[in-house]
Amino acid sequence: MKVGNVGAVRPAASAAVPSIPARFWQRVSFWVTLAVVALLGAVAIVSQRDTLREAMFTLLMFASLASSLNILLGYTGYVSFGHIVFFGLGGYSGFYFISKQGWSIYPSLIVGGLVASVIALLIGLSILRLRGAYFALATIGILEAARAFVANFGPFGGSTGLSINFSVYRQYGGPAQALWTSFYIMWVITFIVVIVSFYIKSSRFGLGLLSIREDEDAALVMGVNAPRWKTLAYVVSAFFPGVIGTLYFFKNGNVEPADAFRLQMSIETIVMVMLGGQGTVLGPILGAATYDRLRSYLLTSDLFKNLHLAVAGLALLLIVLFVPAGVVGWLRGRFAQLRRVLE
Amino acid sequence: MRKIAVLGLVLLVVSLTIVACGGAPAATQPGAAPAAGQAAAKTGGEKTVTIGFTTSQTGSANLESGRQTNGFKLWLDEINAKGGLKLADGTTLKFASKSYDDESKKDRVQELYTKLVNDDKADFLISPYSSGLADAVAVIAEQYGRVMITAGASSDSTHDKGYSLVYMSYTPASRYLTGALDLLAKLDPNAKKVAIINEKDKFSTDVVTAAKAYAEGKGYQIVTFEGYDTGATDFAPYINKIPAGVDAVIGGGHFADGSTFARQLLEKGIKAKFIALLVAPPEPKFAELGDAALGVIGPSQWEPLAKYSAEGAKAAGVEYYGPKLEDFVTEYKGKYTEEPSYHAAGGYAAGLLLQKAIETAGSTDTQKVKAALDKMDLMTFFGRTKFDTSEKTHGLQLGHDMVYIQWQKGADGKLTKQVVWPEAGKSASALYPAR
Repeated sequence: MKVGNVGAVRPAASAAVPSIPARFWQRVSFWVTLAVVALLGAVAIVSQRDTLREAMFTLLMFASLASSLNILLGYTGYVSFGHIVFFGLGGYSGFYFISKQGWSIYPSLIVGGLVASVIALLIGLSILRLRGAYFALATIGILEAARAFVANFGPFGGSTGLSINFSVYRQYGGPAQALWTSFYIMWVITFIVVIVSFYIKSSRFGLGLLSIREDEDAALVMGVNAPRWKTLAYVVSAFFPGVIGTLYFFKNGNVEPADAFRLQMSIETIVMVMLGGQGTVLGPILGAATYDRLRSYLLTSDLFKNLHLAVAGLALLLIVLFVPAGVVGWLRGRFAQLRRVLE
Repeated sequence: MRKIAVLGLVLLVVSLTIVACGGAPAATQPGAAPAAGQAAAKTGGEKTVTIGFTTSQTGSANLESGRQTNGFKLWLDEINAKGGLKLADGTTLKFASKSYDDESKKDRVQELYTKLVNDDKADFLISPYSSGLADAVAVIAEQYGRVMITAGASSDSTHDKGYSLVYMSYTPASRYLTGALDLLAKLDPNAKKVAIINEKDKFSTDVVTAAKAYAEGKGYQIVTFEGYDTGATDFAPYINKIPAGVDAVIGGGHFADGSTFARQLLEKGIKAKFIALLVAPPEPKFAELGDAALGVIGPSQWEPLAKYSAEGAKAAGVEYYGPKLEDFVTEYKGKYTEEPSYHAAGGYAAGLLLQKAIETAGSTDTQKVKAALDKMDLMTFFGRTKFDTSEKTHGLQLGHDMVYIQWQKGADGKLTKQVVWPEAGKSASALYPAR
């Protein structure tokens, strides 16, 4: 499914003040996005409150998942319902090395990411030939196939999954410290995703992807090697869910096929990208933050906790009706000055 | 500069919103639950103990988890209505609870339990429903040094990870079907051929893997060993693999697949003398299958028909604690106008076990309560409770046994549920052969 990018016209050409080069505003935009991520993490670190750390872990996890999906969905215009496949398969692979081979979390994260990328390469070579609804449907099929495969794959524990012994956390300074370490790693991952996302967008490769999104046939005619670039975008966007999956399962201490391949999580990630503004760097971060905080607040608020799903649904409905371009898209549309700084 | 100022303002608003959302519930919590946070502070000889848990108000485990919470709340209301729990040193303990919806998902369950411990100041924890969620939460309980009673979770693997504060109230999955094999051995010493067909999820796989090893150890021949995917509706390919002359068919998974499987066994004319399936048979709705339900045996953690009593406890040489079984059933029916299921009884029992441990410890101190739980060996309306205290599998339930129910035809020709095993607690003899 190809998606038009509402309100996300590249700003440099349109509104730049002649005296200040576009690159300057790009840099501002970059630092603004990093500042938001820094702030999200710093809130937990400064307060040293465990509850806030857990909340921010979930938020940063969704922010980086959404941001990595944005490389495919926002830049390239391909809607994938199977982004969580890489979270599941990469996470399972990384977790396998922690659980069965006794590896440390750090190399396992890399392995999780690499496995996800390799699988994305193999899948991408075949399904990225599909366009529109056919591509979206194929990604759902892959999600189900991956779940069925893992549920029958012996080394991954089949349907009972994998788990780690509690004593594993001792090598990270005990469980309390392990949870903080997981949080720091998540924070770093989010930074890396944002940096990669930004550099892709401002590179020649990114321009190629944007041209594919706008009109793939025209891009081909203009000399963009669409099949190769789409696949590359798919591979890059799959790396991060693999890393995040490994970290998330490590933190949980266990993984089962049903947790690793949830279609609902894929859909939620798409919602976050749409909510924040697809095709922008800051958008997925804000979208994930808004969506996650909304859900989390409703879930724990004494007033709404029995109605949280209904209220969350209503809020999403209102957003889709009145702010279809997402938060960043709306800000860019409403305040022309912001177009330069909100990439 | 003006633009940067505008941008700064926007960022400030966004960050404040985020911080406010993160901090607001925590900040308002003490107001919402005044007792929380002061659990350990004495207020004129009276203390309030907060018990934290999540319940699956939404999602796939909604029904079972809801009943578990109902059971727990009944315990909570009763103990507080009695004026609380009086400790040996004269302190009276009142109990409060704090809970959130975990949506039957692992996504936020660690976050919610961290909140329960840190913001809501929960002194003790009860696990969420289902083994997977309980497993994820055990890390948090252990990290913050809170005793957690698991209810609605029966995976053995939670207890081989080195936890020291997590206590299982259910019979573990590895013993779900072993009693059924004991019953079969008693009913028919000549039975030899057993077919195992089960749902391929964590719980059912754990159960049948243990049952298979147990059966083989007892000299049974496993003629079929097949798994079907969660959500399967057509069991013909698996049923066709059952050879003629099979003595027993065991397995199943959850309610929907288990009842369809039972129906298709009848339709396909499988003449097994003994059929034992997981989870589905103890549910009253299973009777709607009519003839397909007849003779089917199901393991249950507890049944209203079970006969756990002070006399039984005396015979076993252990203490009986808490309400009589009949009283629990009457009170539950009075409050919720339905018969309590084993999930409901498990919820009540979790509270009761905690109550007994605190009473024995004479304190709410984690280490003292842990010591009391380690030593615990008693009988309640839910059955016997004794925990493994070895370092390797600490907290695993050793004392509790499953009861096995069978659907039989009553004098009026209607299907009724009878407890057929264990021998000591049975309400009727097993119908054998079932078909």
